[in-house]
Amino acid sequence: MEFLSLLDITFFLLAGLGALVGIIFGAIPGMTATMAVAVCLPLTYALGLHHGLALLLGLYVGGISGGMVPAVLLNIPGTPSSITTTFDGYPMAQKGEGEKALKICVIASVIGGLISAAILFLFAPLLADFSIKFSYVEKFLIILLALSVIASLSTSMLVGIFSGVIGIWLSLIGDYSISDGGNGKTRLMFDFMEPYLFEGFSLLPVLIGVFGISTILLEAEKGAKSGLVSERIKISKGGGFSLSVFKGRLTNLVRSSFIGTFVGMLPGVGGSAASVLAYTQEKNLTRDSSQMGKGAPQGLIASESANNALTGGALIPLLSLGIPGDSTTAVLIGAFTLQGIQVGPLFIPENPETWYVMMTALVFANIVMFFLMFYAIKYIAKVVMVPKHILFPIIVMMCVVGAYAINYGIMFDVWTLLIFGILGYLVQKIGLEVAPLIIGFILGGQAEVYFVKSLESFGTYSIFFTKSPIAMVLWGLIIASLMFAIVMGFNSRARQKMELTQVTGSTHTASGKGHDTN
Amino acid sequence: MIITKKIMTSVGSAALMATLNISSGVAMAQDGPLRGNIRVVIGSTSTGGDTYQNSAIVVDQLAEKLDLNMKVDAVGASSAFRTLDRDSRGNTLMIFHDQSYLGHLYGVEGYDDIFDKYTVGPTLAINPGNAYLVPKNSPYETLDDVIAAVGNGETVRVAIQPGGVSEIGFSALKNAIAIEHPGQEDNLVAVNTGSQSDKNQQLFDGQADVINGSVQANEQYTRLPEDDQKAMRFVWLTARQDTIEQAPEEGLGQTSREQLLEYVEPNVHVTMGDDESFTFDKEFFFLYNKDMDPAIVEQIDEALAEIYAEGEIQEIQKNAFFIPNFKPSDEASEYLADKMARYEEIISNIQ
Repeated sequence: MEFLSLLDITFFLLAGLGALVGIIFGAIPGMTATMAVAVCLPLTYALGLHHGLALLLGLYVGGISGGMVPAVLLNIPGTPSSITTTFDGYPMAQKGEGEKALKICVIASVIGGLISAAILFLFAPLLADFSIKFSYVEKFLIILLALSVIASLSTSMLVGIFSGVIGIWLSLIGDYSISDGGNGKTRLMFDFMEPYLFEGFSLLPVLIGVFGISTILLEAEKGAKSGLVSERIKISKGGGFSLSVFKGRLTNLVRSSFIGTFVGMLPGVGGSAASVLAYTQEKNLTRDSSQMGKGAPQGLIASESANNALTGGALIPLLSLGIPGDSTTAVLIGAFTLQGIQVGPLFIPENPETWYVMMTALVFANIVMFFLMFYAIKYIAKVVMVPKHILFPIIVMMCVVGAYAINYGIMFDVWTLLIFGILGYLVQKIGLEVAPLIIGFILGGQAEVYFVKSLESFGTYSIFFTKSPIAMVLWGLIIASLMFAIVMGFNSRARQKMELTQVTGSTHTASGKGHDTN
Repeated sequence: MIITKKIMTSVGSAALMATLNISSGVAMAQDGPLRGNIRVVIGSTSTGGDTYQNSAIVVDQLAEKLDLNMKVDAVGASSAFRTLDRDSRGNTLMIFHDQSYLGHLYGVEGYDDIFDKYTVGPTLAINPGNAYLVPKNSPYETLDDVIAAVGNGETVRVAIQPGGVSEIGFSALKNAIAIEHPGQEDNLVAVNTGSQSDKNQQLFDGQADVINGSVQANEQYTRLPEDDQKAMRFVWLTARQDTIEQAPEEGLGQTSREQLLEYVEPNVHVTMGDDESFTFDKEFFFLYNKDMDPAIVEQIDEALAEIYAEGEIQEIQKNAFFIPNFKPSDEASEYLADKMARYEEIISNIQ
């Protein structure tokens, strides 16, 4: 209990401040939890390790959670891991349920965060031993499982798969980096593009462009007839938020939190895969998935509980193996390095005070995040009341500033934003699907590295099926996911056909009666 | 209303203080040719690695000495080089290590000859931790066992990140095998992989027999019991013996300097021919835009000379397991050019 002496008022203030600043970073398109932690990293010199960790963990939790705000209200994922939040959040906001959607997200986030903190506290070393069973082969299969969501998300499977393949193709532009064990050579581009595209397109400008700019272009196309967004969108139209929305969704909440924690503990797989996987599983396992993607609360619960659960999950390999679980914990490891502390398999037994301090900061930051967001949400949600002609230029400006800032001032990232904004607009115009495209883009690079490295390491394709029992289970899940999507596709088509027949039948009857009358 | 006034007054005062602080800082900084906000890009994207840690230590001291606003940005090698290319004013500086010229020697895309394209600045420190490890239950007790096994026709797989500091030890080992067991060197196989976690994973999976690692990242794994799947054992530190002798006596973690000395020359011998043994010290140094005002080079050299003369930085670096190693720009440039020529020979021998 010696660690209690380290928990002074400054500690809690810093964790709370971190959560607040993190939320702001997460809520601004282009700013991320990783950036927030990186910017504040040098402060750990002045603050010392324990106070520094309180601030950085607050930033981490806040940064991940803040991504829900633009995802719900503006259809722009604040962070890559809030991409699936846009699927149901924005349709809810359009229906006038922005505040309700955000409150669902906040509650799902805090529960996801606390479940993952509990798992981290109780099972960290054990789970670290399990996570090392996931080699290149198993990680590739996890990515493949996440990619199978494309089949579930698409209205037309063929178009969805085509869009996903375009996304993967776009993600492979650039060099096969030596930091991934590649040869450092560029591909899929002409020589004159190399100065700009050596490292490929940056993820966030692409994400903000495809979702944010294209949404604005589509809105702009409709013209400014409505003048005020508020004329079309009310903040709390209808029933508003009630805890009863979670009734019957406990399984989803717990399952998604476990998925988020699990994916978080696999180094290199990342938060976007966590929320995508949780969303797919909910879509595949729920009794009624017909509303998912059109404003269903269960989609938000899956996405947000998973992406916040990532925080505890990503700390498992960091603290038990010395290996960061995601990009933010990769920056967080810097706090230890700057203090001359080595994280590794003996970190927890050798540094019990720091371990307890981190757990306290993580739990406290989640609670602060909950209170800050839950009670501020009705004010935040008022952003939709701002007239379009004022709101849209501000969003564009924020997108541009965010894109410019993401790599500390690369103008090409702004061009990327605009190019992908127009591409996103055109893709929707010609009937391709945006979500599969962007999921392909996010996961394509990782899929390539793990696929190539699996083959390099084992030298045979059969290894993907025979490497381990885990690989076999993952294949089972992939096949089940695809089968489910196919069956659902057939059912939906049959239902549409039946509805069409009924409508045609009744029209015929009605017109027949008309004739009779005449 | 009173509270509002109080808050307004406090905020106003804070803003005024900040403005005055910034103004005085700028005024002092303007005494020298290096002025404004200085961004120090590094050749690594990691803030948890040795490059960031060492750069942060040096930049923190420099910022204080020069009274300038300086910030370290972990942007990665190719971005850092390109950023440096664009700024000849001196507002962008770069810190990197031997990978900057090894990448060029290995023909990695994005790496030019630093002696031709940039101005090589002062060296700052050595990281003595470049290491090679085997699983704790490996049949290879020492590096000699590895060399002998490869010489006897056994295939030994070494997990490295290609094209730099991680590969140079592998190249030297291959070169040594080519000298001692001609024709057998192809039995030493590189497993090209990425981060330290990927290299560790290759060992856990049994896909590599030896991995490149570091004292800092792998020391805790060497203290695990042998029946733990994660347990490892050092077989080689590429550092020179006198470099390790300068490390803190308590070493790192629970591995003392005495124990670390078991893994360096002369206890471990990797021949380069003519009784010469291969060693490699990973050294950090500044790189500048070629067209940058030489007065800035001089200003940084002078500031660092003063900092190192004061002695505080050495303590900080040693506590972080770095060996302080300041050489002013001219000396550093000549020294590093010689070092590059030495390793160029090894790389060309095995190609």
